[in-house]
Formats: sequence, C-alpha cells, structure tokens
Amino acid sequence: MSAWLQQVLHRGQAISDWLSPVRRQALQALNDTTWPGRRTEQWKYTSLSAVEDLALATGQSQSQPEVETIDGIDSLDLLFVDGELRTDLTTLNLPAGLHVSQLEQADALHQVAATSLYAQIKPKRHLFGLVNDVLAQNILFIRIEQDCHIQQPIRIISHSSDGHESHQRVLVQLGNKAKASIIEQTQGQSNSLSTGFTEFDLGEHAQLEHYRLLMHTKQAIYFGGCHFCLHDQARLDSTLIGYGSQLSRTDVDVIHNGEHANAKLNAVYLLAEGEHFDLHTTIEHAKPNGTTNENVRGIVGDKANAVFNGRIHIHRDAQKTLAELNNRNLLLSRRGQINTKPELEIYADDVQCAHGATVAEIEEEALYYLRSRGISRSQALIMLNFGFIQELINQMPNQQLAHWLAPQLRARFKEMEVR
Amino acid sequence: MLTIKNLHARVEQKNILNGLDLTIQPGEVHAIMGPNGAGKSTLGYVLSGREGYEVLDGEVLLQGENLLELDIEERARHGLFLAFQYPVEIPGVSNMEFMKESVNTMRQQRGEEPLSAAEFLKKAKAACQQVKLPLDFLKRGVNEGFSGGEKKRNEIMQMILLEPSLCILDESDSGLDVDALQVVANGVNSQRDGKRSFVVITHYQRLLDYIEPDFVHILANGKVVKSGDASLAKQIEKEGYAFLGLDSSEEAKA
Repeated sequence: MSAWLQQVLHRGQAISDWLSPVRRQALQALNDTTWPGRRTEQWKYTSLSAVEDLALATGQSQSQPEVETIDGIDSLDLLFVDGELRTDLTTLNLPAGLHVSQLEQADALHQVAATSLYAQIKPKRHLFGLVNDVLAQNILFIRIEQDCHIQQPIRIISHSSDGHESHQRVLVQLGNKAKASIIEQTQGQSNSLSTGFTEFDLGEHAQLEHYRLLMHTKQAIYFGGCHFCLHDQARLDSTLIGYGSQLSRTDVDVIHNGEHANAKLNAVYLLAEGEHFDLHTTIEHAKPNGTTNENVRGIVGDKANAVFNGRIHIHRDAQKTLAELNNRNLLLSRRGQINTKPELEIYADDVQCAHGATVAEIEEEALYYLRSRGISRSQALIMLNFGFIQELINQMPNQQLAHWLAPQLRARFKEMEVR
Repeated sequence: MLTIKNLHARVEQKNILNGLDLTIQPGEVHAIMGPNGAGKSTLGYVLSGREGYEVLDGEVLLQGENLLELDIEERARHGLFLAFQYPVEIPGVSNMEFMKESVNTMRQQRGEEPLSAAEFLKKAKAACQQVKLPLDFLKRGVNEGFSGGEKKRNEIMQMILLEPSLCILDESDSGLDVDALQVVANGVNSQRDGKRSFVVITHYQRLLDYIEPDFVHILANGKVVKSGDASLAKQIEKEGYAFLGLDSSEEAKA
C-alpha cells in the first residue's frame, strides 16, 4: 500500500458525520484494495507512482483564484477552492424548483434524498472514487424538482492551488421531466492533487445537458468521475473536454436504468508535450430500447500519453439497444502515445452495436500542400484535424459555451505544436 | 535567384531528371516546355521538396541558400512558391484560415508583425477580387468543390498574398478557357516587379501570349535540351518537338 493511501485511511477514520455508514464501507473497501500497479487492468497505462508518497496540505486554503466569466452566459456559479465551497449558498437567487445545498447543513428531507445517491450511482470499483467517498467535505447537492426547466446553466468551478490536496463531491438529482444544464469546470496548473466525483440521477423524461471541462494542466494531478443513472426516457447530452496534465484520470459511467433512455457522450482530449490523460468510460445498458452514441476524439502532442478505454455492456434484458462508440486519435509526433481499447460485451441478441478506434492516418497530400505554403508540419496537422475536433464542439447544445471555448482550444493547439 | 546544377532525381525507382541545369536571375520569367514525361512537373515537386522525389545528385541554390537541405515549409518560407497543376481539396480547413496562417508565417519569417484578422481580410478580399473569385470562396474549404479553373485562380490568389520571390507555375493554364487564362496571366503579370522571378511550366504557347517570357527552355528526358527566347515557343507551337530529333516514344506515351 502506498504511504499516501495510508494517510487517506488515517484521515478517513477521523471523519464522523451522518454519512459515516457509507464512508466506513468505502474505508473498508480501500483497506482491502491493493495499490494498483502495471498489472492492474484499470491502471495498466497510467502509473500512480507520482501519488504513492505524495504529502500535500489538506487544510484550508488561502488561495483567491480568479474565475473567468463565460461571455454570453449568465451562469449560476458555484466555486470550490481546494475542496472548500467558497460560494455563500444563502445569497444565491435561485429560480423556482432549483435547490442547492451543502449536505452537511441539509435538512432531514434532503439528507434522505442524498443518501439514495451518495456512492449509489458511482460503481465501487473506482479507487479514487472510494477515496472521495471517505474524504469529501462540503458536499454539494443540487436538486431540480420534477417538471422544472432550469434555463440558467449551473456552473461548478473547481480550482486547485499549489501544494494542496482536495476532495470534492457533487450530487445532482433531476426529478421526472426536469431539465437542466450543468457545467463542471476544473482549473489549476500547480503541484496539487484533487479528486472530483459527481453523481447524477436523471428521473423519467428528465433532460440533462452536461459539460465537464477539465482545464487543469501542467503539474496538477486529478482523479475524477461523472456517473449518470438514467431512468425511463431520460436524455443525457454530455461533452467532456480534457487537457492533459502530469496525471489526469477520469471515469465516466452511464447506467441505462430505464427504458428508452438516450445518452450522447462526446469527449475531446488535447494533450501538450509530456502530458498524460486517461479516460475510462463504461456504458451499462441494463434495460431495453436504450440508445448510446459516444464519440471520443483526441490529439496527442509530443511525448504525451493518452489512454482511452470505452466499454459498452449490454445486459441480457437490454433488447433493442442501439449503441455506438467511436474513438479517433491523432498523434502529432512519433514520441506521443495512445492506448485505446473499445470493449463491447453483449448478452442480448437483438441489438445494434458498433465500435471502432483509429489512430489517424495523416493525409500526406493535404499535409504537403499546407507545408508548401510555409505552414509547419505539426501546425498543418492541427489545421487538418481541428475540423474533427470542431465537429464535436459544434454539437454542443450551448453554442455560447462553444464560442467561448473555441479561442481557448486554438490557443491550446498552439501549445501542442511540435517544434 | 535560382541556380540548378546537374540535378538528378527519381520517383519510384524511375530516373526522371537527368542532369538538369538552369539559372534564373531576379526579375526574369523562364518558360519551360517539353513533351509529356520530360520531367517538367517533377522539377516543380523536387524544388518544393515533395516526399517521394529523391534527389540523386546535383545542387540547387535559392538566393544563395542550399534548397535541397531545407524542409518543405522552410523552402516556402525562403520564398519558393509552387502553383500546383492539381491543387488538393481540403474540406474542413477554410481558405481564409489557411491563407491567414500561411501569410503570417511568411511575415514572421520576414520579421514583420502578424496581420490582424481585419487587416488580413482586407488583403484577402482584394486578392480574391483580383483573380475574379467570389468572396465566399474565402470561407469555403480549401479548393473544396472548386472547378478546375477556380482551383487555378485560387493558386494565383495565394501567390499574390504570399509575395514569394520565386514562383513556379505548373501548367497553370491547363483546362482554362480564354477568360480564365487572362485572369491567371494578369495575376502573374501584376506580380512582376523586376525582382520576383517566375518559372512557367506549360505545354502550350498560348499562355506565353499573355505572360511574355525572357527565356524559353525545352525539357526532354530530364534535362534542358534547348534554350532560346520567346520565339522558340512559337516555333514549337508550329512544328512540335520533332525538329529537336527527340525520341518520339516519349510523346506517344502520354
């Protein structure tokens, strides 16, 4: 076991609140876990050696980060700094039907609701998810009443600053026929470790527009997860944008727990020199007539390392499932690396399912043409492939957000150029 | 401007250039004619650095710089421009984005500030109008769905925007009607300033009625077999290449 995990267990034992029963279960599971190494399937291509003996500050942070507003979006901003919720919830002017609370201060009714979510959607196999179960404080609970359509996007910004370790948890519950848009955004570039896990429960006919913008980079170490449970006719439209960093790992789970649910997952990763990014997605089709459309595309810079594992599991009863998974990659340099693995596991006989993964073949003639006009090889590669990233950005339902992202992604592309 | 000495090159194990010599001074226009398979287009590709075109021997200096040691993009940045015979279509990359990147790379090379979006747009619009392409071609994917003639005009537009010192036009006249031919020729002539040099590769005398060359070279079997002034092109137009006593199989092959 790593010294760091031992510390986690030690700290976990000291926490006592009404979530303790769940926390204790997670503690027990962690106790029984062996620290992942190269032979651990889930961590085969992502080394945790940087975490093993890590010792960072876990107390309150003095940091006062700047948070950029998104032009054209009047979002309801909730700011976490090193795991601590900085937004005063009592001052929020919330639209009818939207409830935002901190679990520690929640009333009995919300506590009951939260108990049905906390560590209930997120599968227990995620090591850092368990760590988060044990250590998360300031747990945010967002509840949208049934039939309520919340127009204002809810934005959760998580900042990690130098020398800090933090664990942040969010629970989101959409009642039947409720509608909402949630933007989760990380930032921070310095030496830090953060975990950020969110569980979403989408009621019948509920619709969620979701964005996870993993914009932390450089020295930041991050372990995160988005876990969605979809009931009958629920619709999820999720876009994940990931920069790489020293170590960044995200697990996404979508559980089709009702019939005729629809999940659209788009993900883009853009890794600059030497960065690491690992995305594991699992789609569980447990009920019939579900649809999943997953498109994951990435560009990997010099000496950068991308890992994608996309699993679709169609249970025996999940007849008439339509599931598609596609992963396309482009390597900007021979020293970049991508490990991609789509996995289909199908136990129903009447389903349509397709998957594929490619590492882009460079269009030599187009490349030559652009270079013959003075454009460098890697810049030309980026231009030729911005289109395939742009295609997913264009599909984002919130075009203002796409508009805000575009110049940042272009700047990111510049950083990725191999010189 | 450009000195080529004893250039030998091959493509796919086949020797195409066999000891080509050519010297071009600043401001000069050289026409290169010759039967199919003579190595005309290969010369353009070899100079531009296209992969798969292997130089076996010889030397090429562009403004004193050893061209053959440079990457494709570096050659372009040193002032070499090749207008392609068959420009490739690149859907997903807009003409505008492409040209802006390219123009600013060249400016950077010359130690100039990059153009702002507005400044670039102004220049691009002017160039677009000069080659008589509708302005919405700037927004379209590079050459995407362009007709043959539109592609050629797009090449000339790029040439105008990039301000190269040596322009190689690879059959920029092929497939053009008289009006388009004039547009292309006017585009080229507008760039003649006494310093910029041109290599005009063509099959026909026709283009040379509009772009008057200082020298005409006949290329056959990978080397220059005859050089002269503009009258040489007229002679070829009348008599074909037969008077050169070339192996007619080269022509028949096309």
